[in-house]
Amino acid sequence: MIVMPRFNFWTVIMILTWVMLFVLLFVPVGSVLVSSLYDQGGNFTLANYTKFLAESRFHQAFANTLVVGFGGLFGALLLGSIMAFCVSRFVIRGGKFVSLLAILALVSPPFIGAYSWIVLFGAGGVVRGFLRDLGISMPPIYGVGGILIVFSLKFYPYVYLMVSGALSNVNRSLEEAAEGLGLTPWQRTMRISFPMVFPALTAGGLLALIHAIADFGTPRLLGRGYNVLATEAFTLYAAEVGSNMSMATTISVVLIIVSMIFVLLQRYMSRRNVYHGNMINKPIRIQLKGWRNVLAHFAVYFIGLCGALPVIISVIYSFRKTSGPVFQDGFALQSYERILFGLGDVVRNSLSFSVAAVALIVVVGTVVGVLVARRTSLNTALLDGAFMVPYVMPGIVIGIAFIAAFNTGPIVLTGTAAIIILSIFIRRLPYTVRTTATSLRQLSPSMEEAAISLGYSPFQAFLRITVPLIMPGIIAGGMLSFVTAINELSSSLVLYVGSTMTMPVRIYLLILDGDFGVAAALSTILLLLSGSAVYIAFRFMGRNEQALL
Amino acid sequence: MTKIALQALRKEYAGQLAISDLNLEIGDGEFFTLLGPSGCGKTTLLRMIAGFNSIEGGTISFDGEVINDRPASERNIGMVFQNYALFPQMTAAKNVGFGLQTRRIARSEAERRVEQALASVHMAHLHDRLPGQMSGGQQQRVALARALVIKPALLLMDEPLSNLDAKLRVEMRDTIRQAQRDAGITTVYVTHDQEEAMAVSDRIAVMNLGVVQQVGTPAEIYRRPANRFVAEFIGKTNLLECDLIRHEGKLRIELGKGQVIDVTDIVDASGSGRVQVSVRPEAVKAASTGLAAEVVDETFLGSHSQVRARLQTGDIVEFLEFSRRPALWTRGDTVFLDVDTDLLTFFDHASGVSIMRGDAV
Repeated sequence: MIVMPRFNFWTVIMILTWVMLFVLLFVPVGSVLVSSLYDQGGNFTLANYTKFLAESRFHQAFANTLVVGFGGLFGALLLGSIMAFCVSRFVIRGGKFVSLLAILALVSPPFIGAYSWIVLFGAGGVVRGFLRDLGISMPPIYGVGGILIVFSLKFYPYVYLMVSGALSNVNRSLEEAAEGLGLTPWQRTMRISFPMVFPALTAGGLLALIHAIADFGTPRLLGRGYNVLATEAFTLYAAEVGSNMSMATTISVVLIIVSMIFVLLQRYMSRRNVYHGNMINKPIRIQLKGWRNVLAHFAVYFIGLCGALPVIISVIYSFRKTSGPVFQDGFALQSYERILFGLGDVVRNSLSFSVAAVALIVVVGTVVGVLVARRTSLNTALLDGAFMVPYVMPGIVIGIAFIAAFNTGPIVLTGTAAIIILSIFIRRLPYTVRTTATSLRQLSPSMEEAAISLGYSPFQAFLRITVPLIMPGIIAGGMLSFVTAINELSSSLVLYVGSTMTMPVRIYLLILDGDFGVAAALSTILLLLSGSAVYIAFRFMGRNEQALL
Repeated sequence: MTKIALQALRKEYAGQLAISDLNLEIGDGEFFTLLGPSGCGKTTLLRMIAGFNSIEGGTISFDGEVINDRPASERNIGMVFQNYALFPQMTAAKNVGFGLQTRRIARSEAERRVEQALASVHMAHLHDRLPGQMSGGQQQRVALARALVIKPALLLMDEPLSNLDAKLRVEMRDTIRQAQRDAGITTVYVTHDQEEAMAVSDRIAVMNLGVVQQVGTPAEIYRRPANRFVAEFIGKTNLLECDLIRHEGKLRIELGKGQVIDVTDIVDASGSGRVQVSVRPEAVKAASTGLAAEVVDETFLGSHSQVRARLQTGDIVEFLEFSRRPALWTRGDTVFLDVDTDLLTFFDHASGVSIMRGDAV
């Protein structure tokens, strides 16, 4: 048969994909599970789980995780939907700038937000100090309240981007029809528009929830003893005395289950009630008058600027004059000098790890994406499902899982650069597979057929017609993966050794050391790299904020 | 220059039989149309000929050579798709030249042929346009040039006009017909639009439920439809039920009290009993004598008026009259209808198969 060679090629790819998933996903997750079920002596035991259920410290962590998760969800929903509603329904001056602020909040390094808020509102905070001079005393931002403020401001862009996309696609005729039927503006909004954007609201909100549960840096820096599952897992793993791997993996399993429940919930919610509006009659933006206009602008800019505040603070502080870790009056480039002369290897590590991970993600993700899109069979459906798994794995869990799997046994990777690269690779791979498969499914098959009818073999047709068409999307996706890769803290924090330290890890350690000048400068560099990557991505696929989600 | 023969062709989708035992012969240089409602298997058949669909049984041969196992890329076909399928990243000229690149044709010769092909579809002036900057009609012209420039053995067109608006469709089908005649390429054309099929085809195969109902020239299938499905699918018609009566060695039908039409010469003499008659609108004219009928309504359509009248049997007959003002009739008026028996077709009531004598048109 003439089709045999192609059949073989894709069969090989399919087998390799399963091997890859087995080694990088099933083995680590399996190791986590196994490790949680055995004691130090190697005997099967459920003691870790009974301990989890018995100790009030773990109860507290579990409850706290849910509190920050749902708190982050509601905060993000509130801020995100206010902003989305205002921007998509009213004329807001500088609307593009507002979107840019949201993107800044989204791509800013995690936990740097936490620290910037400490700088402003912490025990020795600038704003608190200023207010104290005026005779107003306010409590410092530490604790659960601070975590929730940071989460709301960090994760509102998920809701904002999702909902504003949905709101601007609601067909205006529907609201006009409702108006014709005598509904008041309030009734129209609640009964017509709201159900249309509800899927976007739930999707954005649950994204915020999942990220809030997985976040490690913020509760660690701001919590002051407010423990969540992610911090518990890390503490148990990293404790210098009494490191308890099997308890850390037990908590990881709990964290996976909690995340999985919410991811499945999100998929379930976004699958139901999806309305496909036609684009013929897009809603127009209303020009508000008087105090309403002022209020709408105030709300939008307040949220946007607060969300971007950490970025602004760290850029400003990165240029402040320092003496050792202590800030002085005036500006200087000392912090950057210290990076240049002392931390070059950290920057280099971050860049080379991210580039390597992204290269792998792009190549493997594209090939597997083609496999998933073009070879529809039970196997690829399974594959598609397997690729959901990394979505539910918080970074800290991936890190612990990789340690559990690759510390001993046939493959030993701990302490290498490879383990960091692979941990980033497996977490981001599903995104590329999915976007490649989606863009391939959107291309009309008749284009390749036309090339075949003109005398090209199917493989040539794919290479010469389809690949150039999906290339911009692949490059853009690669750039966005780069943003995630270079900002990754929690898995690297578990996996790094002295020689494989990355920028986010270094920033985290600098903040713990109180050396905020260098941390701010490193963050600024990180932000510059992320910003350039987002800019390149937008150049390739058009300005598409939704792609950042 | 290719003759195509399809023999005992069979197509299955996941165990479901889509086409079974299909036989067709398409002549050299012929413009052959597969016509039928959606889901009748016409596109499936076209894609089997192109090599994009597998063949579960039977053979397809080009000039006597069975090509079942020849991959699509080696069948030397030009294909035009419903959605144009132009390569969006290439200009009109690059699109047209794409098939020549793989054929190792000298650059100057290729350029000359591209220009010629674009000119033949009146698109030479949009040489450097990208598909995104062209209208649907322009894109389809380029797609046609792209298919023709490789001098294919066979031109396949899958509903090429159905994404275009009505006026452009008429214009484009003339271009297609002209280009096909000039190139003399055997063409298989798929459409669900019977008027389009009649306008462009040398011969038409009417398909329904994966089965070829009738093959013939446009005039043959219009005037002598092989069965009731074809009669109703091609053009407008009035289907009346009546009895075929044998009377003094003659066959006749009765369409009202004393209103008989002699059909001895046209209907197969062995027939009798319950039949259905297809009466084309143009078979009926208002006259001073003939079948008595009562006017139901008259719809002004510009050059013509469409008149509906009730026969004494209760059947409604629709026909066309040149329009005049004031209207010829008002509701309830009595008209007399002259029926041209040459334009009637009779079908067996049970099987729906034509019982016409011979196959003369």
